[in-house]
Amino acid sequence: MKRTNKTLTNAGNFAAFMGPSLITFTCVLLIPLLYGVYLTFTNYSPITGSQDFVGFSNFTAIFTDKEYLGQFVKTLGYVFYSTIFCNVLAFVLAYLLTSNVRFQNFLRAGFFTPNLIGGIVLGYIWKFIFANVITLIGKSLDYGPLTTSFLTNPDRAIWAMIIVTVWQYAGYLMMIYVAGFVSIPRDIQEASEIDGATGLNKLFKVTIPLMVPSFIICFFISISRGFMSYDLNLALTNGQPYGSTRLAAMHIYQKAFQANQYGIGQAEAIVLFIAVAIAAVSQVLLTKKYEVEA
Amino acid sequence: MKRRRLLAMTLVFAMIAAALGACSGPSPAAESQAPSPAASTAPSAAATANEAPVKITYFNTSAEVNTMFENMFARYHELHPNVTIELIPTGIGEGQQEKLQSLYASGNAPTFMNIDPANVIEYEDKLLDVTMESAPWLSLLNDGAIEAGTFDGKIYGIPWSVQGYGLLYNKRIVDQIYGGSFDPATINTRDALKAFLEKIEATGMPATMIHGENWSVGGHYLTLVYACQGPATTDGTGFLDKLKAGTAKIEDSPIFQGYMDTFDILKAHNYNKADPLVGDYNADAQAFGEGKCATYFMGDWLWTVMTTLKGVDQDYGFLPVPWSNNPNDYGNSQVVMVLPKFQVIDKSQNTPEQQKAALDALQWMLTDPEGQQFFLDAGFCIPYKNVRKDVKYNSMTTSIAQYAAAGKTINLGCFSYITGDAWTQTGNLMLQYLAGAIDRKTLAEGIDAYWQSVK
Repeated sequence: MKRTNKTLTNAGNFAAFMGPSLITFTCVLLIPLLYGVYLTFTNYSPITGSQDFVGFSNFTAIFTDKEYLGQFVKTLGYVFYSTIFCNVLAFVLAYLLTSNVRFQNFLRAGFFTPNLIGGIVLGYIWKFIFANVITLIGKSLDYGPLTTSFLTNPDRAIWAMIIVTVWQYAGYLMMIYVAGFVSIPRDIQEASEIDGATGLNKLFKVTIPLMVPSFIICFFISISRGFMSYDLNLALTNGQPYGSTRLAAMHIYQKAFQANQYGIGQAEAIVLFIAVAIAAVSQVLLTKKYEVEA
Repeated sequence: MKRRRLLAMTLVFAMIAAALGACSGPSPAAESQAPSPAASTAPSAAATANEAPVKITYFNTSAEVNTMFENMFARYHELHPNVTIELIPTGIGEGQQEKLQSLYASGNAPTFMNIDPANVIEYEDKLLDVTMESAPWLSLLNDGAIEAGTFDGKIYGIPWSVQGYGLLYNKRIVDQIYGGSFDPATINTRDALKAFLEKIEATGMPATMIHGENWSVGGHYLTLVYACQGPATTDGTGFLDKLKAGTAKIEDSPIFQGYMDTFDILKAHNYNKADPLVGDYNADAQAFGEGKCATYFMGDWLWTVMTTLKGVDQDYGFLPVPWSNNPNDYGNSQVVMVLPKFQVIDKSQNTPEQQKAALDALQWMLTDPEGQQFFLDAGFCIPYKNVRKDVKYNSMTTSIAQYAAAGKTINLGCFSYITGDAWTQTGNLMLQYLAGAIDRKTLAEGIDAYWQSVK
């Protein structure tokens, strides 16, 4: 009798504490995800209301959509470069800002600020900088390459995206690295110094191995955000010039909502989801190998 | 232990199921929007004319005039207290198509709306076909306007505004160069246009400007190629059908070649030549308004930007964009006149009473002098015969109206059939051509490939 009561209480507690979040999770994530997978097998359109089963034809359509494949490759490049530069810059900043420079806290806050500005606003600010400020400087210096906007040349526009992404996320990742640096036990560092390790040697042999958990988190964040980048893409280049900077997410959106091919757009979204999952998980598994115990 | 967890999970799923059950069924709140019998029998203070209160919604895609519609509906509510019209506004550059799709998908379709012709075709099955019997006031429309709103032999779209585009020119500058003797009618061949632009360029001023955005060079300039296949809408759509079927190649069309030759000339005199793809709408308007270049390929909607700028010229006119050297060719002495938006009524998710209320409201908005005044104050040219004759439009709209009065307009009927991502895709090709990234042959092949990919 007593036992059942306890069981009921526990179950009630579980429902009270876990229930709300589980319901929310199911409603806004699980069901839409499953429904989304189901939609990839139909020719759904809210306009005509059709929802007929079409099998795998949406998935085969992806592989004939040369544009999507091209943009997927472009997205891979964007993710690769922005991840590398973001993390290198963030690590260097964190290293400098934990070595007792003056105004350390003020500088940390300063580098972190870009991350507090939303992607859309950020995009418009940088659009102005690239299109008006830099060209003005270029004209006054009479330096050819800077007289035209970065955003009107396909090769330079993608680099403009990478520059802004790095500017936006480097400060955020820097905070994680700062936390990593601070958490390295003092005694290990002293021990290594007594053993004669100095400068770079100490950095590569002691500090970096102990900071692998920070690297895992930072790479995970930059890779997954890079793949799903949309707001910055929309505000900064809107895919221009002539569609050359449309990243995968933007292509999916246009396919579904502008070309009215929901099924194909949704199938492309699923493919992107799988790609992000593979990239992020394999990165975590690979870097985990280098984790060491202090 | 196990059983306890099982019980907990069951409880949680029961809660989820209950929550979902509440989400799915028809919500009582949505029901009450429609005039239910219960509502009409209840004593209502608002219904002075013994009429049942009707609540209808209006979806507006002309984002720049949301306030105009709001004021209009407030006034209409004063006149007809039983009718409440709720505006569903959209923002400039906001996903308007997406919003309408979501309204339809969620069962909240607006009663009536102001949408693009391409959307009228997409939503045709769900729209009320208006007839001369149900709306006799349509006979007040200008000639030809009703045809534009007729799709598959039925009137789905009620016209309400006329716009035009072509090569805008700054009258002050051109008069200066020509000593006041410039006659726009002389620009009716490509050579005449070329000589005109060269004469301006000789004074050291860039002669023209191309807006480096896909909607301008793709949606507007390239569309001229389809529209000038012939004066009937079917000439243009017939050509598009051939492109889709692959039985015609755009490269073989002399009109395409002609317009691209003209495009090359415009390109050579482009104010934005150094960086043609900047595509900054406000900066381009400012430069043109301040007289930094003499002409601009744009439409009379540019006026709404001009009114927000200081120190800009007020006097503009339109020139045709000739595609050949034969002055009699269709398109060489005409400018485009188009009905860019239509008023339509939904029949799929609204009651007959609501549809009737929407139709009555439209009648007041479009044909009653008080309703029309709202449009006139906002600077619209509305195509109804009973509009006050003393109304004064801005210089751009006046110029379009003059071409229309002389019968010198290009019928852009096929524009309605250029749907989906046609603007973006073919426009992007045009931008590549503008930037010199591809040649004309590649451009033509790209356009063919796009149309063949459209089902």
